[in-house]
Amino acid sequence: MRGVKERFAAFLFPAETADWIGFLRIGLGAQLLLYALSLKSDWLHLFGSRAAAIASGPLAEGLLNTQSQWIPRLNWLVALGGALGVAEGTVLAFIWYILLVAGCGLLIGLFGRTCAITGWLLHLCVAKSGGLVSYGVDNFMTIGLFYLMLSPLPDRYSLDARWRERLREDRHLLGFFRRVLQIHLCLIYFFGGLTKSLGAGWWDGTNFWRALIRPPFNVIDPEVLVRWKFIFPAAGIAICVLETGYAFFIWHNSTRLPWLAAILAMHIGIGLAMGMYLFALVMIVLNVAAFGPGHAWSRRGEEDVDLAEDLALNST
Amino acid sequence: MASWLKPKRRRIYLACFVAHFLVIVTVSCRESVWLVARGLTLLPSPLRSYSERIETRLLSIAPSNAVRSSFLTYLHAAGIERAYGYFAPNVPASYRLVFELHYPDGQTEYALPLVTSAAANLRLASLLDEIGRTRHGGLREYLVKMLAASVWNAHPEVTTMRAIFESLKLPTVAEFEAGERGTYDFLYVYDFSRRVDPP
Repeated sequence: MRGVKERFAAFLFPAETADWIGFLRIGLGAQLLLYALSLKSDWLHLFGSRAAAIASGPLAEGLLNTQSQWIPRLNWLVALGGALGVAEGTVLAFIWYILLVAGCGLLIGLFGRTCAITGWLLHLCVAKSGGLVSYGVDNFMTIGLFYLMLSPLPDRYSLDARWRERLREDRHLLGFFRRVLQIHLCLIYFFGGLTKSLGAGWWDGTNFWRALIRPPFNVIDPEVLVRWKFIFPAAGIAICVLETGYAFFIWHNSTRLPWLAAILAMHIGIGLAMGMYLFALVMIVLNVAAFGPGHAWSRRGEEDVDLAEDLALNST
Repeated sequence: MASWLKPKRRRIYLACFVAHFLVIVTVSCRESVWLVARGLTLLPSPLRSYSERIETRLLSIAPSNAVRSSFLTYLHAAGIERAYGYFAPNVPASYRLVFELHYPDGQTEYALPLVTSAAANLRLASLLDEIGRTRHGGLREYLVKMLAASVWNAHPEVTTMRAIFESLKLPTVAEFEAGERGTYDFLYVYDFSRRVDPP
């Protein structure tokens, strides 16, 4: 029994380098930056509360209240601005700029923790108040930013580590948070793949075809697509197998790299063929951070150092 | 620098880990059960009634308000409030909202809800899906009215407006090869007119 507990603890708290957290920070910084830039021209139109706005913050926030009144939302910040005599439009514009700054901060690793918390909170407010116009990308950005803000920062590649703070890298804590991200991704793909497998359309290629011709994801001309109709059933089944099998094959050394490469290829495909660039980017960032450096590939000598540290810990 | 976490701290992390993932698994299982219970999957009907019973039991676990609110706040904050079955078990229908704009001179024009970027267009599609999915007529009308107001803002001279909500019937590969290009099926229509305040 003690052996099982020790093995579980060793599994949950492996020694990890900061490579993955550096990648997650930079990736989510870029994601936050692109998220803000991509919505710049529609920001007020989407998230304002006046007649010109399409997402109706008040309605979305009213719906949120049916679940909990404590879920962060834009109205809190707008009300705060109102109390200080600042108009709603100015507050929303200010939030947009802060998101941009938080993204830049994460990208270069300056004030990393503050930027991660600010980015997570403001994005959450926007995603929840704009709940009627949110989609998968918001969900995965929240997940990524939530883990990033709780993870050990700064990492060794950040400007914080070089300029401002002494590096305090706890490799087992880094390992714990990476494990959390890894297991979460496994559950995401497992349940995503499982529910797809329960639909008849993924087995005969119908859903693959429908996903690609359904507005607004119809980036590729159906006339071009239909020439490749013979691969639709195989592609549909491959997606089910890839997603469901991720939770099992990503852990084994011999299957990890091909499985990760296939999943990344799938997300690149979704980004290019369906125009979901931000969704593709956040999934690639989460996957590479979880299973890339140190797992699917290692820097020379890194494995030897890890092994030596684990052996040293086991002997103490 | 590697350091082994103190046992007490490790236990706290372990407890958080277990609670966090228990929630993720429960939320994901609930969605799968929901899909089976509504007959949206390949699974046979005996499993359907069994799933309905499980779903009813899951829904009956309703803690007190304060606990429930804290719990749901955590779910939203961590991004784990919903499951991950995108485009599952099947790819849903697509929707379109067309506005028929009537000008004082009798002229008629057609317009779609306005967004300028591709990123916002993906979000608009989410809103149209919500309008198409909801079973509440009042909510649907409110959402359509909201979009109508934004179009009205861009066309202030319009006196009356008709909003036509349609679903797109996507063609199969065989139908597409036979020349079919998808048809819009009429679902709902709403008429709006500008309220004129008395002088």
